[in-house]
Amino acid sequence: MSETNFGKLANGKSAIMMELPAERYFEEAMKSVKSLLASEFEGVYISFQRPFRNISSMFGQNGIDVNKLVVIDVAAALVEANQEKDPRCVHISPEIDIDELVKAIYTSLKKLKSEKKFIFIDSLTTISLYKPLSETLRFSEFLMRTVKTEKNLTLIFNVAKDLSQKRFIKDIALQVDEVVNV
Amino acid sequence: MLKNELGVLEDGMRDLPEGWIVLLETSPEKVLDVSLAAMKILTDNNYSSIVLSASRPCSNLFSLYEKNKIDKGKIFILDCVCKTLDSSAADNANIKHLENASVLTEMAIELGKRMDSAKGKMFIFIDSITTLLIHNKSDVLARFVHSILTKMRMKNVSCLLVSMEGETNREVRAEIAQLCDKVINV
Repeated sequence: MSETNFGKLANGKSAIMMELPAERYFEEAMKSVKSLLASEFEGVYISFQRPFRNISSMFGQNGIDVNKLVVIDVAAALVEANQEKDPRCVHISPEIDIDELVKAIYTSLKKLKSEKKFIFIDSLTTISLYKPLSETLRFSEFLMRTVKTEKNLTLIFNVAKDLSQKRFIKDIALQVDEVVNV
Repeated sequence: MLKNELGVLEDGMRDLPEGWIVLLETSPEKVLDVSLAAMKILTDNNYSSIVLSASRPCSNLFSLYEKNKIDKGKIFILDCVCKTLDSSAADNANIKHLENASVLTEMAIELGKRMDSAKGKMFIFIDSITTLLIHNKSDVLARFVHSILTKMRMKNVSCLLVSMEGETNREVRAEIAQLCDKVINV
């Protein structure tokens, strides 16, 4: 799928699941973000996999304007590491309370200027390593409800292809508007 | 190791981002040669290394490094093998023995200490995911790997994780591969 197509695909869709090859996972995720920004979206990027410092550097090297994003750095919180001080980076506490995370997403969405917005979950399976499945599902259901009540807000879940057969991922896949196999 | 396999490895190691994390997949027959070749390439390129060894005892590793002209002075081994055979295995400036390959918290603490005192280019060599999976539950190991890789990314420390092709649980392999910048198959 070309970068431009993904931006078009997101238009008018409330929830999309991207199944990415594990070998090119972050590369493909970056392509999606780049494509969305090129289609005048701005977004909240919830990072379970990589700390903000790494994301910011990789996005910079790949021509992605971090100023159009707010990154919620869950990865650093998961390992209780010192978090970056940057206006585009939102910190959460190491307990990773789902309600706190949801609140952080709401607050971050308000910081975006564009009419078209997205919420980008870099990996649902990574958070499930740390939180009970019930909490992971509660998180995804909450997001799903939120995007369905908002105009011009698209939710993108990413998952590695080899993990897409996990029961809870299949349950979530049933609720999205489209599953895109990259 | 065959010339074209060495070429694949050398090509794969080129143009990596700062603080790279690479999953190196190979067959059980080739794993030793490939690991030694990777150590040689990186130490020759001024990297110092911490080797987390769950597969071979430190004495064997140092002897192989010497034989392959790999600069031992640049290498520190976290050995998870020796103490399972000899509880009195002694540490020194280049070796720290851990009880066994299931003490993931101790591994994380030791790796953290070494990363904190790192000077210059450093990479952590994890040998191997496949062996660690024998000693640890898959979800616990995946969480450990995510945790140490995140800490490495925060400190710009690089990492080479070795995995045996077809021998590693498919889901754990995917969970780890998606965290890496590159997967090299040799």
